[in-house]
Amino acid sequence: MDPSAVISLLLVGLARAMILFIVSAGLTFVLGVLRVPNVAHGSLYMIGAFVAFTIATAFGQSSAGFWFALILAPLVVAAVALIIERGLLSHLYQREHLMLILFTFGLMLILNDLVKLIWGAEYRSVTPPEILDGAVTLFGFNIPRYSLFLLFVGPLVAVGLWFLSNKTRLGKIARAASVDREMVGVLGINVSWVFAAAFVIGCALAGLGGALVAPTTSISLGMDLTIIIESFLIVIIGGLGNTWGALIGSILFGVSQSLGLLFFPQFAIAFPYAVVVIVLLLRPRGLLRSAW
Amino acid sequence: MLKALVEPRWLVATGIILLGLLLIPFGAPLFYIYILSVIFVTALLAMSLNLVLGYGGIYQFHHAVFYGVGAYTVALILTRTSLPWWIALLAGPFVAAATGLIIGWFCVRLTKLYFGMLQISLGSLVWIIVYRWYDVTGGDNGIHDIPMPEWLTTFQGAYYFILAVVVVCVGLMFLLIKSPFGATLQAIRDNPQRCEAIGINVRHHKLIAIVIAAFFGGVAGVLFATLERSVFPGLLFWVLSLEILVMCLLGGWFTFAGPILGAAIVVALRTVASRYTDYWTMVLGIILILLIFFLPEGVMGFIQERVAAKNKAPHPQRVEEGSGS
Amino acid sequence: MLRVENIVKSFDDFTAVNGAQLTVADGALVAVIGPNGAGKTTLFNLIIGLFKPDRGKITFDDKDITGLPPYEICRRGIARAFQIANIFPRLSVFENVQVAVFAQQRQSRNFLQPAHTLARAETNAILESAGLQHKARHIASALSHGDQRILEIAIALGSQPRLLILDEPTAGMSPEETATTMSLVKQLAQTRGITILFCEHDMDIVFSVAQSIMVMRHGQTIIQGTPEQVRQNRQVQEAYLGGADA
Repeated sequence: MDPSAVISLLLVGLARAMILFIVSAGLTFVLGVLRVPNVAHGSLYMIGAFVAFTIATAFGQSSAGFWFALILAPLVVAAVALIIERGLLSHLYQREHLMLILFTFGLMLILNDLVKLIWGAEYRSVTPPEILDGAVTLFGFNIPRYSLFLLFVGPLVAVGLWFLSNKTRLGKIARAASVDREMVGVLGINVSWVFAAAFVIGCALAGLGGALVAPTTSISLGMDLTIIIESFLIVIIGGLGNTWGALIGSILFGVSQSLGLLFFPQFAIAFPYAVVVIVLLLRPRGLLRSAW
Repeated sequence: MLKALVEPRWLVATGIILLGLLLIPFGAPLFYIYILSVIFVTALLAMSLNLVLGYGGIYQFHHAVFYGVGAYTVALILTRTSLPWWIALLAGPFVAAATGLIIGWFCVRLTKLYFGMLQISLGSLVWIIVYRWYDVTGGDNGIHDIPMPEWLTTFQGAYYFILAVVVVCVGLMFLLIKSPFGATLQAIRDNPQRCEAIGINVRHHKLIAIVIAAFFGGVAGVLFATLERSVFPGLLFWVLSLEILVMCLLGGWFTFAGPILGAAIVVALRTVASRYTDYWTMVLGIILILLIFFLPEGVMGFIQERVAAKNKAPHPQRVEEGSGS
Repeated sequence: MLRVENIVKSFDDFTAVNGAQLTVADGALVAVIGPNGAGKTTLFNLIIGLFKPDRGKITFDDKDITGLPPYEICRRGIARAFQIANIFPRLSVFENVQVAVFAQQRQSRNFLQPAHTLARAETNAILESAGLQHKARHIASALSHGDQRILEIAIALGSQPRLLILDEPTAGMSPEETATTMSLVKQLAQTRGITILFCEHDMDIVFSVAQSIMVMRHGQTIIQGTPEQVRQNRQVQEAYLGGADA
């Protein structure tokens, strides 16, 4: 096997892992603060991709269109999330997990049909901007430019999230609230808005993931179904609510899939699942400490 | 024995319903016979889930796996081997139960949400194998035209066969719920820690419950394969698992018959709604959210509560105390 | 019957029990006292196996039971009633106790016999001695607080224990409920011959009922002795009894 091809493949896997990370970081953030396993997270990712398509098309699929889409799609998803949180979810926080997960399932069913209603069932695509199109040769390896871009954005989001939860007031309150909701409420802080902010930020990350994935794949109905399972798994093996765990989990996931493609192309997508089973056999509660 | 378990009026009601169901094929159009068969199969599936969900308090998030495994076992045996049909039908539930044992063995070390999410991942692993292993399972095409004995291929034949199997299974599940094991399972649901303290090996009991539920889920899968004579990967996709959860919620998961009602409502609505609209899932989503907000105990739970409130009325102080805890 | 030797248990950075000692003789009524946070509840949780000790040894009938899972310890004859009512809220009072009896009779894996025909006599006997027989069909969560606490003890009795551990059995009870509960406890010890280990805030109850008292402070054992010995002990007077009734 050609070693440079192997390394290129691994890098592409790693780049895909960055999208997984951004989506699952949003999921784990919501899970950590609100304790809500958001099944509709994948739908928001799909909406992000479709909105990116609409914006890019409005700009004639130009480079500027891509950059606008990258910024605006997460904001649109954030707005949707805010409406959902204020209108519905905020009334359910006292309920048990089962109800919350079923609520988000209902949301998923509705959002998916809305996507079908608005964008139809055709396949859509977004053209990457010129600067990110094609491949570059680095140290003798052939790497798509867009993959390099993803490898740059992923860590940026990780650092941003770390900064948000450790260095800002909102993040500190959110972390405290996830441990002891009542105590924070007693301190005179409006927990309700902290939760809303956390939910919106988490969902915006799903939107960002969707916008980022748009140029690399065909955008279609059903793209939410695999990403949500994948990000659930990543969140579990990382430790519920742990951002760094999501990063490690995503890398394990993306890289094991690349390795799978090398050796057993037909079952490549089974590889990450096998990794998950092994991790959970050894550490049933995930690799890193859970926020719970 | 039966008399001691069920109030006579319920026994009579069940008898009348059963008699009605036996007579339906003599008058009803074939389409209704088919839809009723689908409802029976789905109801059995939902009840098998509720065995662990409502009675065991176990977050069985990926129950459809056992359904799919049961159905695929039948399909594979009948299309790839020359074994007789009845062996395939018998094998389905046992293969499903074995799958339940393996998945459950991993999962019972965890509780609540962790349990549910691990189960989704393990179940998805099974789904991917079925979905991708074209040479054996036919991949996303599934397996079609499964050979069945002549009498099972008519709508009436399938109807009576399914009805008989479902009635036996529901009866067995009823006995199970009323047995010491059923009582213990409900105690585990209410308070697992206390159960450990009175000498119950909670994990072991949960695992048994999961295997039994997987078995009955497998029976439902077998019945699906006999009715449709085809199988496809969607049978063990996680979205179906959540749909069954919705049926249990809709009917009421703290009641025995609730899931039957939930399954009947969902199947009937789907049949009617998909005639008028392409957006059936949105309808289901809206119903689900309305339920969560306004009817969290389900339809049956709501009825029971009403009846209980009526009975309790002479002791208002007790109702008060109860609401506090 | 029960011996706890030098047991230690820490949580993160807090040592709840730090070298406690306890001896419970067969048939005795033993009390553990100490200020809030002295480690009494943790000690009980260690004995019944809810927590695994960091160090130390627990023997029951001269057999080592340290670190066994709770269900195994229960099967050997130790049952515990919890401080907060720790019952099965959706089950009836009868079923609450019956489930414990099933577990004790190794019936909990009986799949096909109707439960309500089994273990009736045992369950009714327990309900009767606890004075709950008239409320047998009530749903447990609808009971009054005091009744829930008594049901809590009844569940523990369902395990047919030889050693019964009670964690503040009368906390939050009215004076009448307290009297009922304590007479139930004494009756259990006398007529059924159950050994009882309990902790309690009310010193009048402790000194009138207990034959042996162990005093805990900061997770350590100060002394274990007869009520007379404990009363005379200077350390105890300073640490505990001196501060009014803590």
